[in-house]
Amino acid sequence: MASALVLLLLFWLAKNAQVEGFAYFMNIALIGVTLGAVYALVALGYTLVYGILELINFAHGDVFMMGGMISATMIISVFNLGAHNSTFSVVAAVAVSLLVAMAGCGLLNATIERIAYRPLRHAPRLAPLITAIGMSFVLEDIAILWKHPSYVQTPSVLPHGNVFSISGVTYTWEKLIVVLITIPVLLALVWLVQRTRQGKAMRATAQDREAAAMMGINVNRTISFTFALAGALAGAGGLLYALYFNEIRYDTGYKLGLIAFTAAVLGGIGNLPGAVLGALVIGFIQAFNEGLTWHSPGSDWTESIVFSILILILVFRPSGLLGEQTPEGG
Amino acid sequence: MTAAAAPLLEVDGIETFYGSIQALRGVSLQVREGEIVTLIGANGAGKSTTLRSINGLNHPRRGSITFEGQDITETPAHDVVKLGIAQSPEGRRLFPRMTVLENLEMGAFQRSDRAGMQEDIDRVFALFPRLAERKSQKAGTLSGGEQQMCAIGRALMARPRLLMLDEPSMGLAPIFVDRIFETIVEVNKQGTSILLVEQNALMALQVASRGYVLETGTVALTDDAAQLAQNEDVRKAYLGES
Repeated sequence: MASALVLLLLFWLAKNAQVEGFAYFMNIALIGVTLGAVYALVALGYTLVYGILELINFAHGDVFMMGGMISATMIISVFNLGAHNSTFSVVAAVAVSLLVAMAGCGLLNATIERIAYRPLRHAPRLAPLITAIGMSFVLEDIAILWKHPSYVQTPSVLPHGNVFSISGVTYTWEKLIVVLITIPVLLALVWLVQRTRQGKAMRATAQDREAAAMMGINVNRTISFTFALAGALAGAGGLLYALYFNEIRYDTGYKLGLIAFTAAVLGGIGNLPGAVLGALVIGFIQAFNEGLTWHSPGSDWTESIVFSILILILVFRPSGLLGEQTPEGG
Repeated sequence: MTAAAAPLLEVDGIETFYGSIQALRGVSLQVREGEIVTLIGANGAGKSTTLRSINGLNHPRRGSITFEGQDITETPAHDVVKLGIAQSPEGRRLFPRMTVLENLEMGAFQRSDRAGMQEDIDRVFALFPRLAERKSQKAGTLSGGEQQMCAIGRALMARPRLLMLDEPSMGLAPIFVDRIFETIVEVNKQGTSILLVEQNALMALQVASRGYVLETGTVALTDDAAQLAQNEDVRKAYLGES
């Protein structure tokens, strides 16, 4: 049954490639990679937090949205960027905005854990889930008060020129920049979890909290650090979203958060490479669904498709593509 | 050794609760420098809770715990190990997806002397050659006996002054039980004081110098281990005699 579906999917992709031409198909695939990169940064936050607390931080998508709002503020009000700026000043401004968004969201997410989850550490599992939803509303309301309910438009400051254009396959600088910011962030995360003392403490806490405490690990501090890390990744995602899509609203994080959560579950919740893989798969699905034309459901159906996938995974393969794991990297 | 020397560990009248349920009703015990002290008693008597009170996972509501003259009643678990108390917990509680070697390294998490850590890893491997063979294997895939060795080794990696062992023989084949108890004696000879919780009272009383019998959250009886092993009630209740 599953393999029949996969075959059908491959046939649909091949037929589309034939109908549209290979170059067009590849261009759509490159959009998928870009979307996947943004989703990956958010999906990792769900998976990191789940790995250590077995809690779905439903406010995480809204932390991402706040990252976008912080970035928009930096780009518009602090640096006043526009088409007139030199490349150097854009790079410097984006770098500073990235750091501010990551730091701001890291602090925000750690604060959410401190006030909404830690007091309920020993309460029934449903309780922190409800406070998570509550925090989600609080963040959205803060965003409405801060930025009003309408879209915040951010200037299109990334260069739109081509990195390459080979027989119709074109790759633009703005897409490359999204990937260029994502990859070092992911590598830094892998290094941190696998090689550092703090990463060791995270892995131990994820596997057995009490045993970790007996080893001399400050469990509360480790959990705070994990939330800060997840928030920082969401902050980076928020900046990329603001730069690439150029508009963001108080409820942007709600929808994108659910999609990223689906990506994390698809890859195997708690599994770091799984989150990245799941995000890329969802990115491709969205790009193909919205870009291809031969019997494609179209953009109205993207969310229905993504959440149908969520239902199918939860029913048929709850441990995801790569299996459930805690943040060890697998 | 002078009789007047202050004990290494002094537990005085602790009362510990799980929520509203009182598990300990005033437990007092001492471990002196260089001793093996055993805590025996039926299931639910409060043996593990006593260890959890000492290591900081469940702070007692009343009473006090003093280690090397310092009050540790309210000290959090991650600081207790820094003071020199390490534990091999009930059920071993290894990190299942880390290798044997990584588990041992976790035991030395709060230390920073690399040379000393390597020395201690060698020492653990000398005590348990089996662990050296399995050092790259994930701890979750070890047999029960090997896991117990790994848990004891991990506790030793903290270079504790006091080693607490919770049910080290539970669920093990007799050959492993003998090996574990030999090691306990060996570790003690190397200078580590030991507080041993055991269901296997017979074995525990053979290696210990003193023992405490816990019953429903209080110390029912305490004596030299040899005396306890002769005690009529103890023999009936815990040594399987009728």
